[in-house]
Amino acid sequence: MRAAIGLVGVTLAAVALSGCENKDGNGFVQIKAVPASVVTPPAFYLDSVKLDPLKKGEAVLSRRVGTTKLQVEAPGGNMFPLCEIVVKKNRITTVTVSMIERPPRCQCTHSASPSAPNRTCIG
Amino acid sequence: MIGSVPGLRDVGRALGVALIAAVLAVPAARAQNAGTDADAFAPVEEYARKVEEFTKNAPNLQKKIEEGTKSIDALADAAKARDELEQLRGVVADLLGRVSDNGELSKLGAKALDNARNKLKALEADTRFKPEERQLLVDQWKELIRQTARAAEDLDKARAEFAELIRTLQTREDFIDELLQIKRAAEAIKVMRQLTSDLREASEKLKTLIGGIRPPGA
Repeated sequence: MRAAIGLVGVTLAAVALSGCENKDGNGFVQIKAVPASVVTPPAFYLDSVKLDPLKKGEAVLSRRVGTTKLQVEAPGGNMFPLCEIVVKKNRITTVTVSMIERPPRCQCTHSASPSAPNRTCIG
Repeated sequence: MIGSVPGLRDVGRALGVALIAAVLAVPAARAQNAGTDADAFAPVEEYARKVEEFTKNAPNLQKKIEEGTKSIDALADAAKARDELEQLRGVVADLLGRVSDNGELSKLGAKALDNARNKLKALEADTRFKPEERQLLVDQWKELIRQTARAAEDLDKARAEFAELIRTLQTREDFIDELLQIKRAAEAIKVMRQLTSDLREASEKLKTLIGGIRPPGA
């Protein structure tokens, strides 16, 4: 009897979790840091998620559809927002980050608004 | 003075407990160490299995690209052909998701390499075995590390190709959409035909690339 109740509980939990699946799907964010040869690039964050160090100055990350904020860790551990990235289903949004500028600056391949270029990148 | 006797007893008892704890801790630490050593191969094995799974599934992409491009070439309806392109992008996105930098394969690869490098370091410092025995194990792990790193590099190349393919598809789709908006369906069809030709080329390139990926230990 207890086993049956346990099984029902597990099934209900599985059904509940499947209901939480990402219905809008995923897209991709491509980050290119230039020049790639920067000795110690700062740590990048997508919203609050710290990214692994970029390999050869580049990363392609799967990301839930929506808007995400690209940030770098400033000296003292504070976050410095660089730009926003709009992720669309099965599309890739590319952002080049110029590391020679202080603070680093986003360059969007395609900006969401022509009046505010490089503020919000879109795929 | 009388009061100090129980104090000494307490100290003695505490020392006894500490000694027993230390004696018990040594085999426990050894067992843990042995466990870590034994586990070093597991991530490499898991990574190899996942890489193999990926390379086995990838040919479906070529098949789908082939079918999709044929279907697009045969369609005279630009809007329908445009929908086919979107479906193709979905197929490429699925594969890109598997090899993305924050995907399962990349994480497994990094873990496998980390563990294997730690294992190699531990073996190089290990004095339990005869030098030639140790060398045999060191050589085997070095080879495993080389193969794991190569598989990871090949997957990096595949990721770059998939990213490029998805970008080509989406920008061409955007251009086709712009053409359709201004009622230039004939031009849109022309762009699609050129795109299907480019896709076939990309598919061939990916076939060679993915065909060359060898899981570590294969």
